[in-house]
Amino acid sequence: MTYVDRDYSASNGGARPDGPPPKDSTLSVELRTAANTVVIATIRTVAADLAARADFDLDSIDDLRMAVDDLCAMLVRIASQDATLRCRFTARPERIEVAADVEVEDGTEPPPTRSFSWRVLECLADDVSAEALPRELNQRSRICITVAKNAATAQEP
Amino acid sequence: MTPSVSSVGTEHGEYAHLLPLQRRYAELSPDDPERPRLREQLINGYLPVAEHIARRFAGRGEPVDDLMQVATVGLINAVDRFEPDRGSDFFSFAVPTITGEVRRYFRDHGWATRVPRRLKDLHIAIRSTLSELSQQLGRAPRPSEIAERLRLPVSEVIEGLQAGEAYRSSSLDEMLGSGEGKATLGEFIGGLDSELGLIDDREALRPLLAQLPPRERTIIALRFFRQLTQTQIAEQVGISQMHVSRVLRQTLAYLHEQMAGLD
Repeated sequence: MTYVDRDYSASNGGARPDGPPPKDSTLSVELRTAANTVVIATIRTVAADLAARADFDLDSIDDLRMAVDDLCAMLVRIASQDATLRCRFTARPERIEVAADVEVEDGTEPPPTRSFSWRVLECLADDVSAEALPRELNQRSRICITVAKNAATAQEP
Repeated sequence: MTPSVSSVGTEHGEYAHLLPLQRRYAELSPDDPERPRLREQLINGYLPVAEHIARRFAGRGEPVDDLMQVATVGLINAVDRFEPDRGSDFFSFAVPTITGEVRRYFRDHGWATRVPRRLKDLHIAIRSTLSELSQQLGRAPRPSEIAERLRLPVSEVIEGLQAGEAYRSSSLDEMLGSGEGKATLGEFIGGLDSELGLIDDREALRPLLAQLPPRERTIIALRFFRQLTQTQIAEQVGISQMHVSRVLRQTLAYLHEQMAGLD
C-alpha cells in the first residue's frame, strides 16, 4: 500500500499540522492495494482519520468510516482475480469525497442501487454513485463507486 | 478504594516473622544462590495480603482467580523492589503496589489490542466529555470542540479517538443488558416494512432482520430506515453514541456476511 499523493495545497501559508486545515485547503490521498478484504480496515481508518482532521463531528466521522467499509466490501466482492483496488480521497474542510474503483471481468454490472447495501451507503453518505468506467486501451474493465460526506450532520430526519 | 494497612496486619503482628527474611533478602547480592528460596518464602508468607486485596476487588466483573493472580504479580513486584533501608515498612509499600497492579488490570482489560497507557487515559477523558457536549450542541461534537473542553491539542484528541477503535467491543449480552425497553420494537416495524418494499434483496434481508436481537434491530431500523444520526439514536435507546456505533458496525458486518452467504 502506498501513499501516491499527499498534497497540502493552501494559499494562506499551508495547513497547520495541528488543528483543522485552513478553509481553502484540499488534502488528497490515494491508496492502491490488492482487492482483498484484509486491507479494508486500513482504508477505512484512513477515511476516518481524514474526517477527524477535517474536524467533522463524531457521527459524521463514523458514518464515513462505515460507508468506506461498505463500499470497499462491495468492490472486493465483484473484483476479478488479482485485481487492484484504488481509493482516492479528496478532503476539503466541509466535504470529503472517496472515489474507489476495482478491476472486474468484462460485463460485470455496477452494484444494484436497490439493494440493502446500497441503502446503507445512501444513509451513511450525502452523495453516492456507481458507474462502469470507460475501458482504457489494454486495461481491464473497472467499476467505480463514489461517496461524498459533508461535515454538517443532518439534523431532524 | 484502597484497603487500609491496618486491615491486613502490620509488621508487629502476624507477619513479624517475615521481617528478618526481608532484611536478609535485601542484603543479598542479586546472584546469591540463597535468593530464590528466600524470595519464595517471602511471597508465600505475604500471599494472604495479596488475597485480601484481590477480594476487595471481587464482584466487578472479573473472576476472583484472575484477580488473585494479578495481585500476586503485584506482591512479587513489591517483594523484589522493597528497600528496607528507606525507612518505610513493607506494608505501606506493598499495599499500594498490589492495589495498583489490580487497578491497572481493570483498566487494561477492556482493550482488545495493546494500546499505550497514555492513549487509553486520553480515550477515557474523551468519552467522559461526549455526552455533555452532545447535549449542549444537540449533535455529536467535533474533535476541535472536545479539544477545547479538555484543553488539549486537536491532534491529541484525534489520536485518542483512534485508540478507541481498539476498545474491546461489547458482547451481545452486554448490549442487551443495559437500558432495555426504552424504545419499543413495535414502533418501528411498520416503517421498516414500507421502506423495505423499495429494496430488491428484501426477501433475503427480512428474515435476517427478524432474527436480530430487538436492540440491534431497533438500532438498524432507526439508522437506515428512519435516518436518525447515531447521537439521536443514542438518546432514544438510552445508550452512548459509541455504543450505537459499535452495534451498527457489528450488526452491519453480520448482515452483509449473511447476505453474501446467500448469493
